[in-house]
Amino acid sequence: MISESIITIKGLTKDFPVGSGYFRALNEVNLEFGRGEFAGLIGPSGSGKTTLLNIIGSLDTPTKGEVIVLGKDISHLNSQESASLRKEKLGFIFQSYNLLPVYTVYENVEFPLLLLNLPETERKKMVMEALEWVGLTQKVKSRPSMLSGGECQRVAIARAMVKKPIIVLADEPTANLDAENSHHILRTMATLNQELNTTFIFATHDEKVISYLKRRITLADGSLVSA
Amino acid sequence: MIRFLFKGLLRDRQRSLLPVIIVASGVFLTVFLHSWLTGVMQDGIELNARFITGHMKIMTRAYSLDKDQLPNDLAITGSNELTDSLNSRFQEAGWYQRIRFGGLIDVSGSNGETRAQGPVFGIGIDLISGNREEIKRLNLETSVKSGHLPRKAGEILISNEFANKLKVRVGDKVTLIGSTMNGAMAMYNFTIAGTVEFGTSSLDRGTILTDLIDAQAALDMEDACSEIVGYQKTGYYDDELASGIEDCFNELYSKEDDEFSPVMSRLSEDNQMAQLLAYSGKFSGIMIAVFILAMSVVLWNAGLLGGLRRYGEFGLRLAMGESKGQIYRSQFYESVMVGIIGTIAGTILGLAASWYVETYGINLGGIMKNATMMFPSTFHARITPAAFYIGFIPGLVSTVLGTMLSGIGIYKRKTSQLFKELEA
Ligand SMILES: Nc1ncnc2c1ncn2[C@@H]1O[C@H](COP(=O)(O)OP(=O)(O)OP(=O)(O)O)[C@@H](O)[C@H]1O
Ligand SMILES: [Mg+2]
Repeated sequence: MISESIITIKGLTKDFPVGSGYFRALNEVNLEFGRGEFAGLIGPSGSGKTTLLNIIGSLDTPTKGEVIVLGKDISHLNSQESASLRKEKLGFIFQSYNLLPVYTVYENVEFPLLLLNLPETERKKMVMEALEWVGLTQKVKSRPSMLSGGECQRVAIARAMVKKPIIVLADEPTANLDAENSHHILRTMATLNQELNTTFIFATHDEKVISYLKRRITLADGSLVSA
Repeated sequence: MIRFLFKGLLRDRQRSLLPVIIVASGVFLTVFLHSWLTGVMQDGIELNARFITGHMKIMTRAYSLDKDQLPNDLAITGSNELTDSLNSRFQEAGWYQRIRFGGLIDVSGSNGETRAQGPVFGIGIDLISGNREEIKRLNLETSVKSGHLPRKAGEILISNEFANKLKVRVGDKVTLIGSTMNGAMAMYNFTIAGTVEFGTSSLDRGTILTDLIDAQAALDMEDACSEIVGYQKTGYYDDELASGIEDCFNELYSKEDDEFSPVMSRLSEDNQMAQLLAYSGKFSGIMIAVFILAMSVVLWNAGLLGGLRRYGEFGLRLAMGESKGQIYRSQFYESVMVGIIGTIAGTILGLAASWYVETYGINLGGIMKNATMMFPSTFHARITPAAFYIGFIPGLVSTVLGTMLSGIGIYKRKTSQLFKELEA
């Protein structure tokens, strides 16, 4: 069923220290993701969606088990290696957009390319292309404070997509948006998924998002219910 | 990338303007306080120099060995000529004869009987020749509490407290009983022209100020004086200059085998003054250190808060693939930039304010109602070379250190934790 496995999770357990003991946020999770998937982690609040997404994004490490992302074992990356994995291969989209307020739309989208040390002409081409995907070429000079919530999230999508990452991790990307805007950005992401074969992994409990997903992974209390 | 960060720095006033203002204020205060304290200390030294040691002082060898006894039998003779040649040879300073003497002041009643009597310390200085240098130097004008400055021969100033003790007033006649240069008894009548306050109890207890010529007449010291004091024309004591003049003078005028030959010493050779110099250096050093420390804590905190405020941004940048080291370094560069700009601005402002107070002084006459000779009401700052670099300690070092310390938080926190700040 899966053409080319790019994420392999085996026996993943994550404990958070709480007081003198610990809290088990993820319990023996086994999962695999292939190239070009449009998948979502769904489940009630506290079920471990964000925790799992963070570990896939090498922002956190497993307590036990094995997580291989694009051939890299997350448990054994040092901070520089995990940074370069994120820089080159991963894109993030957040519930609260997290645009840098002092920079323009253009600069916000350009930021990941600066980290990759790409030359200016190439950056410009890529930024404009990404803004075209999300339909914001008219707003290059605007600051985030001048944009609507939907527009902000579209900038965030452009920022995540501009370097054409292999995997995009999106944690509740529609939580702050109304229905119309939610559908707009979901359509945009579905299109990009098709055109660029980018793997999208969502964490969500929004029905609108769930309806777009091609694969639904249900978590409850840190355990996989269905994949 | 650097340009990108710099752009952000400039646009985010909370990150640039505000810290620069905080740093500049701290540095301004440090520089100004330093100059102020140096000025106050210098003023203290100058005050002593004005009354007692001079910047340089000439006595006879024998007198200098026993100077606490005021041995006027060992005074400098031919002092007018010596003073003239000093004034022409060492023009970097002004030279003034003074006589110090001890004795008794006797106040007689209407029938000639003694009404009151008390031991007195007297200083004979140039008061009525028309040259007002000494009057200005001793701040006499503003220290007069009643009456006026002596205007003609035979008029003296008397310390206020002493006058009260003797129950004499302006216009009263008193008799000085002392000894002449030759050891004979001297009696001389003076009229009290005014009372003054010295501001130091040892002098206020019983001191008179007479004109130099009067003192010479009273003590039979024509063309003689206890000491010739020299004051550098800059108004401030410069040890190097003093030392040069001293060596030159002693070479020319002083003979080791002649105890009546004059010998020069300079301010820093006086035991008490040497102590005061050392003490004032230490004191202002400690004050400045404490202040710098306090400023450092403030700027440190500012650096810390500036860093904490941006944990969200750091989280995002980490997610975008910057390493913690990169973020830490960019924070470092940013704080260096803020520190340098703030320090330069603060130093310039501090020097400007110090210069103003050095040139014009701050008159605290309103607060300190009683100006006295030893405690004038105008204070001056003094800019020393240290004022140019001292601000860099709180301005640059503390700012950068504060930022670096807050930056450790970047390392200490798990990436996911920083990341969480994004969601907040
Ligand atoms: N750093 C932490 N320390 C302790 N407990 C944590 C930590 N992070 C998460 N948890 C706990 O782990 C569990 C899973 O958290 P997670 O954020 O993954 O849930 P979620 O499924 O994303 O929920 P939501 O839908 O509300 O975002 C929660 O019970 C949470 O309280
Ligand atoms: Mg979550």
